This record gives sequence, structure tokens and C-alpha cells, in this order.
Amino acid sequence: MGSMFRSEEVALVQLFLPTAAAYTCVSRLGELGLVEFRDLNASVSAFQRRFVVDVRRCEELEKTFTFLQEEVQRAGLVLPPPEGRLPAPPPRDLLRIQEETERLAQELRDVRGNQQALRVQLHQLQLHAAVLGQGHSPQLAATHTYGASERTPLLQAPGGPHQDLRVNFVAGAVEPHKAPALERLLWRACRGFLIASFRELERPLEHPVTGEPATWMTFLISYWGEQIGQKIRKITDCFHCHIFPFLEQEEARRAALQQQSQELQEVLGETERFLSQVLGRVQQLLPPAQVQVRKMKAVYLALNQCSMSTTHKCLIAETWCAARDLPALQEALRDSSMEEGVSAVAHRIPSRDMPPTLIRTNRFTASFQGIVDAYGVGRYQEVNPAPYTIVTFPFLFAVMFGDVGHGLLMFLFALAMVLAENRPAMKAAQNEIWQTFFGGRYLLLLMGLFSVYTGFIYNECFSRASSIFPSGWSVAAMANQSGWSDAFLAQHTMLTLDPNVTGVFLGPYPFGIDPIWSLAANHLSFLNSFKMKMSVILGVVHMAFGVVLGVFNHMHFGQRHRLLLETLPELTFLLGLFGYLVFLVIYKWLRVSATNAASAPSILIHFINMFLFSHSPTNRPLYPRQEVVQAMLVVLALAMVPVLLLGTPLHLLHRHRRRRRRPTGRKEDKAGLLGLPDASVNCWGSDEEKAGGLEDEQEAEEPTVNVQVESFHRRTQPVHRHCSQETCLSSIPRRSLGPLAVGHRQPLTQFLSL
Amino acid sequence: MLEGAELYFNVDHGYLEGLVRGCKASLLTQQDYINLVQCETLEDLKIHLQTTDYGNFLANQTNPLTVSKIDTEMRKRLCGEFEYFRNHSLEPLSTFLTYMTCSYMIDNVILLMNGALQKKSVKEILVKCHPLGRFTEMEAVNIAETPSDLFNAILVETPLAPFFQDCMSENALDELNIELLRNKLYKSYLETFYKFCKNHGDVTAEVMCPILEFEADRRAFIITLNSFGTELSKEDRETLYPAFGKLYPEGLRLLAQAEDFDQMKTIADHYEVYKPLFEAIGGNGGKTLEDVFYEREVQMNVLAFNRQFHYGVFYAYVKLKEQEMRNIVWIAECISQRHRTKINSYIPIL
Repeated sequence: MGSMFRSEEVALVQLFLPTAAAYTCVSRLGELGLVEFRDLNASVSAFQRRFVVDVRRCEELEKTFTFLQEEVQRAGLVLPPPEGRLPAPPPRDLLRIQEETERLAQELRDVRGNQQALRVQLHQLQLHAAVLGQGHSPQLAATHTYGASERTPLLQAPGGPHQDLRVNFVAGAVEPHKAPALERLLWRACRGFLIASFRELERPLEHPVTGEPATWMTFLISYWGEQIGQKIRKITDCFHCHIFPFLEQEEARRAALQQQSQELQEVLGETERFLSQVLGRVQQLLPPAQVQVRKMKAVYLALNQCSMSTTHKCLIAETWCAARDLPALQEALRDSSMEEGVSAVAHRIPSRDMPPTLIRTNRFTASFQGIVDAYGVGRYQEVNPAPYTIVTFPFLFAVMFGDVGHGLLMFLFALAMVLAENRPAMKAAQNEIWQTFFGGRYLLLLMGLFSVYTGFIYNECFSRASSIFPSGWSVAAMANQSGWSDAFLAQHTMLTLDPNVTGVFLGPYPFGIDPIWSLAANHLSFLNSFKMKMSVILGVVHMAFGVVLGVFNHMHFGQRHRLLLETLPELTFLLGLFGYLVFLVIYKWLRVSATNAASAPSILIHFINMFLFSHSPTNRPLYPRQEVVQAMLVVLALAMVPVLLLGTPLHLLHRHRRRRRRPTGRKEDKAGLLGLPDASVNCWGSDEEKAGGLEDEQEAEEPTVNVQVESFHRRTQPVHRHCSQETCLSSIPRRSLGPLAVGHRQPLTQFLSL
Repeated sequence: MLEGAELYFNVDHGYLEGLVRGCKASLLTQQDYINLVQCETLEDLKIHLQTTDYGNFLANQTNPLTVSKIDTEMRKRLCGEFEYFRNHSLEPLSTFLTYMTCSYMIDNVILLMNGALQKKSVKEILVKCHPLGRFTEMEAVNIAETPSDLFNAILVETPLAPFFQDCMSENALDELNIELLRNKLYKSYLETFYKFCKNHGDVTAEVMCPILEFEADRRAFIITLNSFGTELSKEDRETLYPAFGKLYPEGLRLLAQAEDFDQMKTIADHYEVYKPLFEAIGGNGGKTLEDVFYEREVQMNVLAFNRQFHYGVFYAYVKLKEQEMRNIVWIAECISQRHRTKINSYIPIL
């Protein structure tokens, strides 16, 4: 767990991979997950890299896989997850996989095409039958007037002068959303030389491609003259209608259609059986092949980041690797290159760049690290706040959630997840919400546990008080002392217990809040005040702790000036204002007792007056010379603000200027500034420039970081620079903890009192 | 319109404006073009496009990759984006977007009519139609024999209907008449669009009017240039010019009388906007008038993004994207035809 405190030491390692063994080495490293490759070919565009051909082949394969996968999914089947360890296959296996999948894909395409064609045919037949069965008999169409009343007069009345003209028919089906447009266009283009009747199909047909049910509009157009006929054909073509020959002897036609479609269905059934066989083979082959090819592609992508040695005998890779893992790395390289009869070499090289942050987690710490990372990942070797978060985060949650019953439920829920965490069904669950809960199961466990604890302190179980110990208050004593008679009790519904009366208040409750408070009318206001004060104390301690953690960073990176210019002013500001508030709270708890409660000073008024430099005559001072002390503290705290804002930038500027004037003797503090032990390896000239540049960067960065107003949990994190505005501003949200704790309780209490 | 419409703009159109600005940021950069030009094959081009915001848009194309496949896919992408904008737009932005599609619709109608004239099948031509200008009745265009027919039967329900007022005639549709029809439609369309933008006022008018004015002037120049040596009379020519723009009215009258390119150039010299453009023709790289106009258009469209709270960004984005597509297609053509000498004459989008 030593690595929990700081992110691990990471070294830049140069790997010499002989060309013959490069693939196996990288594949092995990939399986172990020990290293992070640096891109040595950043200036080379994607398609000019060395292994681009191989990557492309893998991509081709993936394209085939996508096709197969889609087919399997379309058939409503699921791909089983791949089992066992599947290392990247040797490059020569690619050809085999490629051939197999290509063959399978081709087969599938053929069968699929056949099936598709059959289904389209079947669909056509069904549609045809449906159109015929729709009952637009010609007479019906002619006399039918729905939606066409304004058209009827335009027609030649049957039996008129043109009775000898042959009436032709076009029957077909069109998608419903196109029907109105088609109808209008037909009418406009043909000016009443036709009668069209449209009808919706009663029974939706299956769409041949998607298989979804789709309704169709069937239509029957009767028209006069060939010219119009051609026009109608063109128009129906452009609307992609299905046109069917319309004959008089429909009964015979329908029977024939019925038979045809039955035959087709049989063939289709056969095809579909064959299709499911092919799909079954795909299901077996696909998942492992997918994983393998993905790994293969990843290996080639990693190899693309390597540069070639001058002799073309080996590839040179630069990787970040945890210093602790170096022996493992070397062993892995040796093992995997031995097979090829060559040897790959790894050696550590000095680096000027800041290494990546590496923090190892286990299943317990992972969720806590996740919370910390959500606020920002620390720089290399900065103090990692996650171990403290394990305590503070659940505890602060519990301060808000404190309730034995609710906490216990939460704890049991989390416990169940923890106990069942090794069951495969738990991990395989796809539900996103469930995954969130499952990922944070240890977090929930602790949150529940702490909630039980704070619940005991608040003496609340499902928002009801429980009396484990006898109460410290005695109603009997009060009744005896003040002589409450039955009549008195009947008159007064509210009675006051006075702790100043002897025997009424026997002493504090052994643990937490006295249960008698749940009977009191001022229960909430008492608890609110208590929780508020507790929250302020916890918050200030928490923040101060965060600032102190920053000290370890400054010491580690050798930035002693920041101790003076950042940590000290921050602490002064924090403790001078809010630390003083904590002092007031505790002082009042100790000094003011029930006997002089009537004239007790108000801390809130004192604290407000402290900033206004005034005093109210009704509010007694807590201790002599209080105003002088307070004024001094405020002035001191305000004086820290400019120090915080300007201190470090001015210091860096000063140092930068001084260095420019005296170009020698700068080595050690530059190294200190950069926080890199091996900063002085490269030659001097470029060194100086780089160092200067970095400092400028830091100077430029400082004000922007200042602007961020961050949530108060961030306070636990020394990873970022503690800046004045944050200190000033985040001190205030901390006080919101109190109301939240109150907020949890209030609705429930009210609910229970109903 | 409303005073201080920028106060309310974001209520209705803020999301789409943000979206379109994001889309604009994904246009290819100069560096991308430099890389694209270095490609050896279309496969290389595809790989490089994958690293840009185009992403895997060619992933499902079967080999071999052709230029037309790339073009179709790019159009599909643009069309998808545009449809998204359109489906989420509110008035008056949706009208504005409809106006934008009208120019493509005109092109499609004319293309189909030309195809019908040459007895090509509708399917063959449909592929060439721009997806942004697609509408249901489009394919029925070839049943019409005269412009009035066309209007009465087919286009009366489409947004193109209002533009037909000036070109109702009973002339048979031959090649010249179709071309005249196109230009008249376009003139009427541009004028209506211009009026719409002008009436809308605000920043939209300030941004869109210059762009449309330039478009009108460009059409005037191109019509003039194309009419040299044809049977089009000078009076007819004048009726085709859109009646607004920097050239309107004196410049247009002069243009109507112009007889060759040099006269046109003399007319352009009177206008400080167009003088440098005509001077740039034939300069380094042998630029044509068209190239110069494209460059100017790109410049104006890029500038449109400097203002906020207006609809011009949608217009500008689509035009810029079209230019980018033309560039990619140009580069792809040069690569596939191994004609590398001219590969650099794409229009950079700055």
C-alpha cells in the first residue's frame, strides 16, 4: 500500500525489439499491461507508418466481423462472450482467420440474399392477394364516393356518350404516407380522366427487409385512353408503387396466388433452416476471432509508434513503466524473444518530460480513487488523497445521512453485493445503474457503516429516537419541584423542563443525543444548531487537513517557497477566520452552562460583527478584549489574500529575472523547480531555455487556476495548487453540510407525525 | 422585426446555432489538406479521413473504393446533418432552411428534365441528384411537356411553386428552354430569398444580404459569360439577371450589352469588389473565373461565423461543407487518375 500515498515512480524505458520478435514482445507486454507506449512518430501521418498495411488488413477483417455480427443480431441471436485466454495470434494465423471468416461471410451473404429475394417475392404475392382481396370491384370503385365527392361530377357518367370506350384498370399498393400526394398528383396530372379509389389494408404485412409490420394503401385506378395510362404508369413508378395486373376473373387468380405463396413459404422455410445453421457456425467462430483480431490490431498500432533503428534490425520503442515493474518487464521481454532466438533489450533512459501518474488500485480502493480522479488526476508523484478519502468521504456522507435504520439497509445492500461479487452473473449484468452501484459497492458499504454510527450519535432509527440508556432528564423531578397538579397539566399542553432545577438534569446521555429530545417542541431547532456547529468543526478540520497535505507536496518537489507563500497564508486565512469560529463554538460549549444560559452570547452575531468591526451592546462578549483579538485576526486574514494571489508569481518572476542576469549557478534550483531528479542530463543551452519556458508556463497557469471555484471535497486533495480564491470561497460551501443533515431528517419526521 | 432579437435568439435557435458552430469546427484544416494531397491511393485518403471528424463514414463501403462512393457518402453525411437541423428548427429558421434547399431542388428538377429530354432512365439520373434537393414528386417531372404543365401538375405543392410566376409558358421544353427555365427559376428564387432575409432584418440581413448579393452578381457574370456565342438575345439575357446585388441596375444593363470577356472585365473594373477578382484570373496556378468566385464565396462564408445570433451560419456552413466536398472530390479524382500536377488547385477553407 506504499504506492497509495503517492503515485508510483515511473521510468522511461527504451526497448530494443529485434524485428523478428517485435510482434511477440509487444503482444506479451500487452497481455501483462505493464507499459505505456510513447508515440515516436507523431510527425508521421497515419498512412505513412510502417505497419499500416497490417492495420488495414485487420480493419478489413473487422468490417467482415461487423457484417457477421449484424447478421447474428438481426436473427435475434446473441453472441456468447469469448472464453479463456486469447492472446494475439501469430501474424501468419491472420490469413487463416481471414479465409474462414470470408468464406462464412460469403456463404451467409448468399443465403441471406436468397432468403431476401424469396421474402420479397412472397411479399409481392401477399400484396397482390391483398389488393385483390380488398374488394375494389370496378363497379364499387365507380360508385364509391368517399373522399372523392368533388371529383364525381368530372367523370363521364357511366352509360354516357363514351360508353363504347374501354375502361382500363391499374391496381397496386403504395406506402401510406405517400398516398395523399399520389392521389393529388394523379388528379392534377390527369384531370379527371380517371377514378382512383384508395383503401388501407386491414392486415399489416411483414416488411421483407426489416421484418416489421407495415400497412399499405391499396388503390385501384380506372382510366380512359392510352395516353393517360402511360402517364399513370410513370407517376406510379415515381412513387415506387407495386403495380399488379388486374383481371376480371379474380377468384381463379386468387387461388393460384394462394398456391404460389404456399410453395414459396416452403422454400423459404428450407432457406431459413440453412441460414440458422450458418449463423450457428458464426456464433461459434466470431467471438474469439473478434478478440484476437482486436488484439492484433492493437499490437500493430503499438508497433506503429516505434521508430526504426538505423540498421533496420530492430524497432526502438519508448515506454513508461513503473520502476517496480522493470524486472518483470525485462523477464517478459527475455521470455518472448527467446522463442525467436534473439534477445530484446530494455534499459532505463533519463527523461525530461513529466511521467504519467500511476496509482495502483485494488477492488476496495478503486471506487475511492475513481471519486478523486473525477476531480482531476494528480501530477506525477503528487500526494494521492484517495487513502484519506476512504475515511472522509463516507464519513461526510454519513454526517448528512445519519440514521441507524437507513444506514443499516444501505450497509446490508452493499454487503450483499460484496459477498456476491465473485458470482459471474453480478459482473455480467448490463444494466447501467446496477453497474454504478456494483462498482461503488465498497463505498456504499462504508457509507452505510458510517451512517449507522452517526445515526447512533443523532439517536435516530428510521427517524425515531431509541432509548438504549435511561434519559439524563427527569420529568418526575421537575413535576415534584414545581408542583404540577392534574389541573395544571390539563390546562398546559406544553411544559418546560428547566435544567437549573436540581434533579431534573442528571448528566449527559452516555452516547449521542438524549432520546427525550424527540418529545420536545424545540427538537429540530436544537438539533439543527448542533449539527450546524458540528459540520463547521468537521469542515474546518477537513480543509485544514487538505492544506497540510499540500505541505508534503511542496517538500517532495523541493518548492520551499510555496510553504511560505501558499501554505502559510492559506492556513492563516482559514484558521484565522473559520478556525476562530471553531474556537468560539468550543469555547462557548465549555464556558456557558445552563445556569447562565439566559444571558449567553450569540456566536453568530459575534462572528458577523467581527467582519463589520462593530459590536452590539446586547450581545455579551465571550471573553475580555475579544474585539481587539477579532480585529487583528480579520486584518491578518485579509492581508493574506494579496500574498496568496501574488506571492508565487512574483517570486517566480523575480527568480526568472535574476537567473537571466546571472547565467551560471542555476542548476540545482532549476532541478528543484521542475521536480525532476535527472533534469541536468541534457546539454545546458537548451536546458536553460526549456526551464525558462516551463516557468513561464507556470506563471501563466497560476491566475487561471485561481479562477476555478471548486467543490469542497476537492479540499481533501493536495493534487491541485491551493489557491487563495478557492480557500476563501470554498470555506463557505462547507457550511452547507449542516442544513443538508437537517434536510434529511425533517421530511421524514413530518411524515411520521401525520 | 423585433428590436434586440439577440435577446430571444437563443430561446429558439441557440441549440442549433451551437451545433452548427461545432460542425463548422470539424471542417478540414490546412494541415489535413496537406496530408490528403500526399496520399498515394484512395485507401490512404480514406485512412486519413478517418482521423478527421469524418470518422468511419467509409467503413462499410465494399472495395474497391471509388471517387463517386466517397462523394455519395459525404453528401449523405451532410444531408443527415442538415436534416437534423431542419427537424429541430423553429420558424422562421425552418423557412430559411427550406429556402436553402430550393436551389438544390431547382437543380434536380432541371437535371431530371434534361435527362428525360435525352431519354435516359429516371433511375440513372436520380443517383446524380443532390440529396438535399430531393422531394417526392421529383421523379414525375418527365411527364410534363411545357413549363405550365410542370407547374400545374407537379410543382404546385412544392416550395418551388412561387418561383414559377415568371416562367409560365407553353413553349415545348427543349434544351435552351430548360436552361432559360433554370435561370428564371433561380433568379426568382434568389430574389425571394433576398427579400426574405431583408425583411427578417437584424444580423441575419446584415450577413445574408451581402452573400446573396454576391451570389446574384456571380450568376449575372456567369450567365453573361456562357451566353457569348449562343443564340440568346441580349434582351433575353437581361431578363435572366437577378434584380438585386451590387451590379443592379447599371452594371446589369452594361453586362447585357457586353459582347466578350474583355468588355465584361471592363464592367467589373467599375466595382471595387470585383476588380481584384477579375485581376486574379489566370494568375498563379491558372485560376478560372469560377475558382476566383469560389474563393471569394468561401471568404464571405467564413466571415459569417464572426457574427452571432443569425441564420447565416447555417447557409455558410452548408456552402463551406460543399466546398470541402468539392475539394476532397477534386483531390480524390487527381489521385485516382494519377494526375498529380493539378492536385493543389483546391480552394482552401481558411
